[in-house]
Amino acid sequence: MTDATLSVAAADLEAAARRRRILNLVVHGLLIAASVLMLYPLLWMLSASLRPEAEIFGSTSIWPSEISFEAYRRGWFGLQESFGVFFRNSFVIAVLSVIGNVMACSLAAYAFARLKFRGRNFWFAIMLGTLMIPYHVTLIPQYVLFLNLGWVDTFLPLVVPKFLAHDAFFIFLMVQFFRGIPRELDEAAMMDGCSPWRIYWKIMLPLSMPVLATAAIFSFLWTWDDFFGPLIYLNDMRNFTVQLGLRSFVDSSSQSDWGGLFAMSTLTLVPVFFFFLFFQRLLIEGIATTGMKR
Amino acid sequence: MPAPAAAGAAGAERAGRFARFWSANGAGYMFLAPWLIGFMVLTAGPALISLYLSLTDFDLLRPPNWVGTANYERIFTADAKFMASMRVTLFFVIFSVPLKLAFALAVAVALNRGIRGLPLYRAIFYLPSLLGTSVAIAVLWRQLFARDGLVNSFLATFGIEGPSWISHPDYALWTLIILSVWQFGSPMIIFLAGLRQIPTDMYEAASLDGASKSRQFWKITLPLLTPVIFFNAVVQTIESFKAFTPAFIISGGTGGPVNSTLFYTLYLYQEAFGFLRMGYASALAWILVVIIAAFTALSFLSSRYWVHYDD
Amino acid sequence: MTTRIDRRGVLAGAAAFGSLGALGIPAAWAQDARIRLLWWGSQNRNERTAAVIDLFTGANPGVAVEGESAGWDAYWARLATQTAGGNAPDVMQMDYRYIFEYARRGVLLALDDAMADGALDLSGFSQEAIAGGQVDGKTYGVSLGANSSTMIVSQAAFEEAGVALPEKGITWDDFAARAAELTEKAGKRGFYGSADAGGLEPTFEGWLRQRGKALYDAESKLGFDAEDATAWFAMWQAMRESGACVPADLQALDQLNIETSMVSLGHAGVSFAHSNQIVGYQGMSQTPLVMVPYPIGGPDSKPGQYLKPSMFFSLSANSGVPAEAAGFVSFFVNDPAATEVLGVERGVPESAPVREALKASLDALGQAQIDYIESLGDLAGPLPPPPPAGAGEIQFALKRINEEVGFGTPPEAGAEALISEATAILERG
Repeated sequence: MTDATLSVAAADLEAAARRRRILNLVVHGLLIAASVLMLYPLLWMLSASLRPEAEIFGSTSIWPSEISFEAYRRGWFGLQESFGVFFRNSFVIAVLSVIGNVMACSLAAYAFARLKFRGRNFWFAIMLGTLMIPYHVTLIPQYVLFLNLGWVDTFLPLVVPKFLAHDAFFIFLMVQFFRGIPRELDEAAMMDGCSPWRIYWKIMLPLSMPVLATAAIFSFLWTWDDFFGPLIYLNDMRNFTVQLGLRSFVDSSSQSDWGGLFAMSTLTLVPVFFFFLFFQRLLIEGIATTGMKR
Repeated sequence: MPAPAAAGAAGAERAGRFARFWSANGAGYMFLAPWLIGFMVLTAGPALISLYLSLTDFDLLRPPNWVGTANYERIFTADAKFMASMRVTLFFVIFSVPLKLAFALAVAVALNRGIRGLPLYRAIFYLPSLLGTSVAIAVLWRQLFARDGLVNSFLATFGIEGPSWISHPDYALWTLIILSVWQFGSPMIIFLAGLRQIPTDMYEAASLDGASKSRQFWKITLPLLTPVIFFNAVVQTIESFKAFTPAFIISGGTGGPVNSTLFYTLYLYQEAFGFLRMGYASALAWILVVIIAAFTALSFLSSRYWVHYDD
Repeated sequence: MTTRIDRRGVLAGAAAFGSLGALGIPAAWAQDARIRLLWWGSQNRNERTAAVIDLFTGANPGVAVEGESAGWDAYWARLATQTAGGNAPDVMQMDYRYIFEYARRGVLLALDDAMADGALDLSGFSQEAIAGGQVDGKTYGVSLGANSSTMIVSQAAFEEAGVALPEKGITWDDFAARAAELTEKAGKRGFYGSADAGGLEPTFEGWLRQRGKALYDAESKLGFDAEDATAWFAMWQAMRESGACVPADLQALDQLNIETSMVSLGHAGVSFAHSNQIVGYQGMSQTPLVMVPYPIGGPDSKPGQYLKPSMFFSLSANSGVPAEAAGFVSFFVNDPAATEVLGVERGVPESAPVREALKASLDALGQAQIDYIESLGDLAGPLPPPPPAGAGEIQFALKRINEEVGFGTPPEAGAEALISEATAILERG
């Protein structure tokens, strides 16, 4: 190998490094520009919560003419129950939903993805079918069911279905991910006499952290954001969730407290944001970092 | 006594058959049990009842009366709003689903490069989805796309005088499509999780073989991601067919202007709870189920040709 | 009589499905004298209502009142679901439109017996006020306050532009000219003299009544013809063209609520609303607003507006505590302390002594409502016949068709569409 070829190779390397740096800059630039688009609504909401009521609808500027935290005080203490009560209720319901969804849906998903049994395809199709029914038409029969169980005005109608894998979205999601896990793993374990339960618990779940974290994030968020379910099932304000609390500020036929709405809307983002930050760490674990080799 | 003995033998045979069935299928059904119970109680019952109600004139307040297929006949022969809402919904599905998925995939791949500040970007990009379709977002969206909103202020710098996008029948649906695409966080997270599940050693091996980054993307990333792409496509299509909240909140439940945002489920909701025709709404719902099921079946049929599973 | 269902019964699930055949099982909760109360409204109303509940339970030991509230949009889905499940609240707030739908379907309790035996005291109510809550000759609702349709006028917008405010008794023609003048003199982009009320049912109804027509006649048929509708749509089309009212793409922002009205959004100097909403409108506006009655057709114009119950309390036909519930409603509309707490937030109280007693304690906006109602005089006519089933759907159709006309459909075609659609809806019922 001559010096000349060596120096050409070095120059190539340098050029490649430069190219990569430039590419990185471009990527960061694009990401930052996109971030502004993503952040704008949050800033707007924050600004709406700090500005005088009558300015919220008339003005497009993001800067309030004057800043006041009055809306936060009014929002937190203004309803018959303090907003802290709604936070607690929402939190209880959301955490139970996360547990229920992750447990029950992963069980069903494991069955669909890995176990052989008669009727598997049939039940899978039915499971997908349940995704397609608009909930407005099953609402009333379900309401009657829960009413007769004496569950109306409790958290049970909002939580128990999660433990029965009622949200087929998560089953389907997990099925797709479980099928991506190399089959040799559980076949080898099966040879060693592992029961399906052990394979599920010791192999599938640990290797599925990304999808389980995804399911946890979505469960939490969607339960937190749910309005219609709590509206139908929760009557007493002591049982209200944050979304019901938020809607208590506005009524299209009379006077609304928009400042309170935006102030509390901003606050309700805080728990979901931290939940997301916490669980997204799990997203990056999994096969890529657990040193799995094929 | 021959008869009981025969019955006993038949019983034993039944029990034997069951034991055989159970030893072959029991584990599957054990794992499926929570879902099966939930399905039977929470979904199958209510769904069958709504199917029955679709054949009645149920008005929510009085016991239903049987009307046979009258609701379905009316939908197909004399209901202009059915056609209008179906058109709106199809338009929404056709444009929002591919755009949203392309966006989500592009951002997920960009974020999967191991760049600095990754968790922060991920959180920021998920933010619109965290906000959900709340009243606050509805107010914001209406301000952004109003005549004197931010979008038009931006366009004005190029000398373009835009209309009131959100309240113009030609554009209102597009503002909802943009809202849907903007909230691309959920499919993005799912893509990210999928990307994370692709073993890194595959890339290492490919790098050693001298495969370029773009070749690695087309030959490794994309094929291994197909189950997740398939999932997102199917789920987003179903969800878009059922889209309700954006139109409900942003149009104030009217589906206006001039029915341009009258989503199918919004029409269904109006019929059920606004005009107290739950029987009719149930018939609308079952027609929607059939249409979505047809789309889903087609995607499953096509998946054989492009979705790559490891099993 | 109540049916009790064993809540923990193993067969509860099966029982639930079995009972669905009726989908109207009677309310199952047999607690003594526990009144469930459901209303729509926002924070302000919730606070006042809760305070009255406290007053009532303080004065009536042994009776508990459980209040539930929701915003207007969510209220009807919630009430319908509870009713369908046989779990209707004992006392529910009712709207003028829905009371007929609910009463005719047997959901509501006729109050005539309670009125006769004194449990429900409406002695302070005028005959018209009681009649407002009657359906087919029986009383199903107790009016919680009177209001009337009105124009909400931005005083500042007119004064700044140096244009005289529209006055009581102004004709539609003069109103259009005045609004066009405001648009021109104000000279602001996106600001017009008036909102476009062509799709607003109460305004259309008032205008029809001034012409001696009606929205619906006593036989639940349309009370107007294509000629009327054409003239109506054409009038607003002319106002759009002259710049008197907002163009269609701005009007379509209006979702028939306060915060999206043209005055609240700063797009117009005049909006069309109900008088008890002045408080909400003023809350959205930084400058003073005043109420002015609708314009009239001319010297031979007939009374178009009317005093309308802004909302009712109705009792569930399945209530297990009808006597206590009637007592609560009676307390709500008569008790001096309760009515003082309530003020005119739900409209001007119907009971004459209550109205007199209130006058001393009202703030300016409350006073303005009473003044407005009392000032209507001969502009207000009798209550129209109750709206037929399907009226809510026709209201949607009117809004949509007016939008179509605004976006280019000729008024004649719009009128034809309105007549044929409304007729079809009424036939369907």
